[in-house]
Amino acid sequence: MGVNYVPETLEEALLLRKAEKAVPLAGGTDIMVQHRRGLGLAPQPDFPVMIISGLNELRGIKKLDDGSVEIGALSTAAEIAASELVPWHVRKAASGMGAISLRNSATIGGNIGNGSPKGDLPQPLILLDAEVVLLSFDGERRMLLDEFIIGAKKTALRDDEIIKSVIIPPHEFTYSYYRKIGMRRANAISKLSLSAACTVKDGVISDFRASSGAAGPKVIRSREAESMITRKPVAELEDIVPDFLAAWDHAISPHAMPKYRRNTTARMLTEFLEAVINGAEPGIIGQEAL
Amino acid sequence: MLKSITFYVNDSRVVFSGNPLTRLIDILRDELGLTGVKEGCGEGECGACSVIKDGKLVTSCILPVGACEGSHIYTIEGIRDTDKGKCLVDAFRDGGAVQCGFCIPGMVMAAYVLLSENPSPDENTIRKAISGNICRCTGYDLIVESIRLAAERGGDLWV
Repeated sequence: MGVNYVPETLEEALLLRKAEKAVPLAGGTDIMVQHRRGLGLAPQPDFPVMIISGLNELRGIKKLDDGSVEIGALSTAAEIAASELVPWHVRKAASGMGAISLRNSATIGGNIGNGSPKGDLPQPLILLDAEVVLLSFDGERRMLLDEFIIGAKKTALRDDEIIKSVIIPPHEFTYSYYRKIGMRRANAISKLSLSAACTVKDGVISDFRASSGAAGPKVIRSREAESMITRKPVAELEDIVPDFLAAWDHAISPHAMPKYRRNTTARMLTEFLEAVINGAEPGIIGQEAL
Repeated sequence: MLKSITFYVNDSRVVFSGNPLTRLIDILRDELGLTGVKEGCGEGECGACSVIKDGKLVTSCILPVGACEGSHIYTIEGIRDTDKGKCLVDAFRDGGAVQCGFCIPGMVMAAYVLLSENPSPDENTIRKAISGNICRCTGYDLIVESIRLAAERGGDLWV
């Protein structure tokens, strides 16, 4: 059983992280649930916790000079869903996370740090090549979120570091797709999710990408499968689809209900690719905008 | 490092010194006697423990008190005698929204936040606003109708 802290400054938080290996708690929507003990009892993790929700340095969403968007680790799902600076895939995922009360508490830093393959935000962030900024007394380091999350509940976070922010590079997609499948609309943990995006220039697909959530130990992007489509003319896409779907199916590794998850993933990818093949109106495919 | 947490519950100052992971709901119910805050699931899914923290709806069963420094918290006890609170309580009664009543304090808090932000919501907006609040009795229709009734009757009260 650990001792729990409420640091008042970022420096105190970094000190606690380094000296006590305290685990940051932002909204508490994962740690408070995972370690709950029932009525009248405080949750009791077997590690020290520091509640960092008061550290305003870790808050805020801003546009950087190169067109990227930086989202502070303490930004809540509600703030992300409401921000016009944030790319559509991420806003869409944030707006479907939990219900209103959960979105008011849950943060992007927590959703990433928890490292769950079912987490709502890592999936679209990995689609967009987002990077995570990590802070310690040694300074900052940046790495691709796809590399930061190593596996189920495993991240590359050093035990003297905290997550400072997430940086999303700019993109202009012709077509975008996002779908989350859960047991109910509100407060569902994903059974399966998929993001996809595609840029078409002069009849040629200049950029194609997809990411699968809850379909393996971590969010899955297959650059190999994506490269089968990138730089191909739209006119050839129909012939490529079967091999692409087979390659994507090979890349994912759902554990529970694998047939359902594989079949449904293929159907979602097909829905998106058919819209591209049929020359749909540029924009969002398959769902209302936001 | 904070040694104690100072916050406000229904406009009264509260100072808590103890384990910062203590759940806000336990302080509200056990120490302050605000038993209108109900514990259903204990994991933030059912909304029975909903309170308003700095103007936003949160589930107090998964909110550690250490995250409440400087916050203003309102529970059903803090709003029910206000004009807006009375408007909602009357509408819930007149609209037949209540059966067993366990979910109702949370429902009223969710409705309070909704109408404060959007004084004339359509049905879909109302349903979304209470989508984090589970009711096992009513089937929701009369709750939705009652919130619409509160919007109609309240009029300028909500603007």
